[in-house]
Amino acid sequence: MSGFLDLCHRIAAVTRRIIGVPDYATYVAHMTRHHPDCTPLDPRTFERERLTDRYNRPGSRCC
Amino acid sequence: MSSRLLRFLPWLATALLGAWALATVALSRGEQISAAWLLTAATCTYLIAYRFYSRIIASRIFALDDTRATPAERLEDGRDFVPTNKWIVFGHHFAAIAGPGPLVGPTLAAQFGFLPGALWIVVGVVLGGAVQDFVILCASVRRDGKSLGQMAKEEIGPVAGATALVSVLGIMIILISVLALVVVNALRDSPWGTVTIALTIPIAMFMGVYLRWLRPGKVLEATAIGLVLLALSLYAGKWVSESATLAPLFTLSGTTLALSIMVYGFAASVLPVWLLLAPRDYLSAFVKIGVVLALAIGIIIVLPPLEMPAVTRFVDGTGPVFAGKLFPFVFVTIACGAISGFHALISSGTTPKMLRREGDARLVGYGAMLTESLVATMALIAACVLTPGVYFAINAPVSALGTTATSAALAIAEWGFVVTPLELETLARQVGEQSLLSRTGGAPSLAVGMAHLFSRALGGESAMALWYHFAIMFEALFILTTLDAGTRVGRFMLQDLLGHIYKPLGRVGWYPAVIFTSALFVACWGYFLYQGVTDPLGGINSLWPLFGISNQLLATVALCVGTTVIIKMGKARYAWITLLPLTWLVIVTSSAGLLKIFSADPRLGFLSHARLIESQIASGTLPLHITSTDAATRIIFNDRLDAIVAAFFLASVVVILVASFTEWVQVLTGRRAMKTSEARYVKTTLVGESA
Repeated sequence: MSGFLDLCHRIAAVTRRIIGVPDYATYVAHMTRHHPDCTPLDPRTFERERLTDRYNRPGSRCC
Repeated sequence: MSSRLLRFLPWLATALLGAWALATVALSRGEQISAAWLLTAATCTYLIAYRFYSRIIASRIFALDDTRATPAERLEDGRDFVPTNKWIVFGHHFAAIAGPGPLVGPTLAAQFGFLPGALWIVVGVVLGGAVQDFVILCASVRRDGKSLGQMAKEEIGPVAGATALVSVLGIMIILISVLALVVVNALRDSPWGTVTIALTIPIAMFMGVYLRWLRPGKVLEATAIGLVLLALSLYAGKWVSESATLAPLFTLSGTTLALSIMVYGFAASVLPVWLLLAPRDYLSAFVKIGVVLALAIGIIIVLPPLEMPAVTRFVDGTGPVFAGKLFPFVFVTIACGAISGFHALISSGTTPKMLRREGDARLVGYGAMLTESLVATMALIAACVLTPGVYFAINAPVSALGTTATSAALAIAEWGFVVTPLELETLARQVGEQSLLSRTGGAPSLAVGMAHLFSRALGGESAMALWYHFAIMFEALFILTTLDAGTRVGRFMLQDLLGHIYKPLGRVGWYPAVIFTSALFVACWGYFLYQGVTDPLGGINSLWPLFGISNQLLATVALCVGTTVIIKMGKARYAWITLLPLTWLVIVTSSAGLLKIFSADPRLGFLSHARLIESQIASGTLPLHITSTDAATRIIFNDRLDAIVAAFFLASVVVILVASFTEWVQVLTGRRAMKTSEARYVKTTLVGESA
């Protein structure tokens, strides 16, 4: 059962990455590993920052 | 030796199977062939090309090295630069490059028969499109994920960089207007379609609110709810279309729809992204991948015969869907799916910042483009399962068909195809529409083709109407997602540009500037959209070739950058790999551009059409479909404007070519140092594979 749940979580994680959902966990992991002295952004601010950035430049959408 | 032989046997078998299928497709004359042959020929060609041709770029040219740290590793920031599993990058890249382009282009090009389009899609992608995407991706990965514009500036020079920037803006204007025109033509006088599409906007906003306040971060949950609501909106549309009081309210004319889409584009550019753009994007990505899979499964289950002949008489340039001979117009009509310059922006955008290993670039750059080409092949098949009579009834403009099923059947009979007025009326009723006549733009005929396939696989004839509107919904969802994000990006580019003239206009946080530049950008594409909607020749005839030319212009820029990079690496002996598609594109775009401007045939040439209308005004003999002298004067103005746009694109091609050629000669003759601008080698510290 836990194996099945684990699989579901992994599928969900992959799907989120493919459709381009901002990945907060990766960001926090990066911050704690490389910048332990900085406070990471909270999830909402992070998400807003990522989305705003994505729609401000060409190169994320196509015909 | 024998083990080597054994390894090559499957490839030999693939090559032989592909060659056999291709020969069957190409040599069929008169008798109907099954879509299976076309699909087999395409798939085998892709496999062989991936295995052997992309290897030249991967090993001989860039010498991709998995021990070399990628920008994702070296510059990791947890935001853009994140080392990611190659299949996730593949999915992400594919979802970004796949849009409505590869669906609409092949459908329009079916007027030449299935063979010309099929050959160009398959050959074009292998030698052109996939090469472009892969080379630009590699170049960007070796340059810290720099964008195409930056690379054009640094590798070729500031003139090329500036031209690339301005062309991208011009291309976006034409791209958005022509895609919006496709939506307008699909929804014109169709309450069912209009209601379904209109409902996708509140659905997306609900998802946005849900994600912000109700359940922050639960994207998949919100998307699942959104998908259920989308399905409901399909039924809501049906219900409205059957209601005597509501249906007329949502039966909108082309001009009303065009204005509504402009308002929508403006709103998307001004509203915060979390409210509309981001949730729409999540929905659209799901629907996109789902429909592509469904289309593949539908075609494989049904294996329909291709009703369209291999080659039609319209290769002579007299076709009703768009004017112009097979050469060069099949090559600009099908841009995406064979080669699309727009992809170079994505190959040098998000994707290079995610690659975990250099070697992954081959699957992502070359492989994803082959997949998009497969989508284009399937779209071509879906268009060709319609009988030619039905296909032309949907895709030919009013000026060719008249307004009744009887006049349409007569006109089509004159072209040598058989369709009865009753057949046309029955089909329209089956898909739940008043009429399917002259729904130009490709989307409706693709939707009829898909409804035909899907209903044969699932649901039977009674499900035709639902499938048709499902297909229309997904095409419009696709297009509107390109349109809203494109308008926003266009607004930012415009702000960037105008900020040089008057500083405050460049401030993205200053509302007057945001509103002014958004309105200006919407007005630019809105003008072309309005022109297309009111054009008696159907609009697609003048706008789609302009879009194709502009997209191929961007591909020219990308291939020039690619060639320069290859030469500066000291690999000039392999420069043919980008020079081959570059040469072909220059021939195609310049001949198509010149014909669109100068051709003496008024159906084809903008200037001769303007002269024709002028002489008609002078002699007082305006044709039926032009009602007033004012309308005629406007058409003359639009013709000349289109000619100027085409001339601008051609001039850009010349500027980029001259600048690149000068750079190549200087490097090759030693007047400029042959120095690559690649980031220096750093050994990777990543081990193993992680999700």
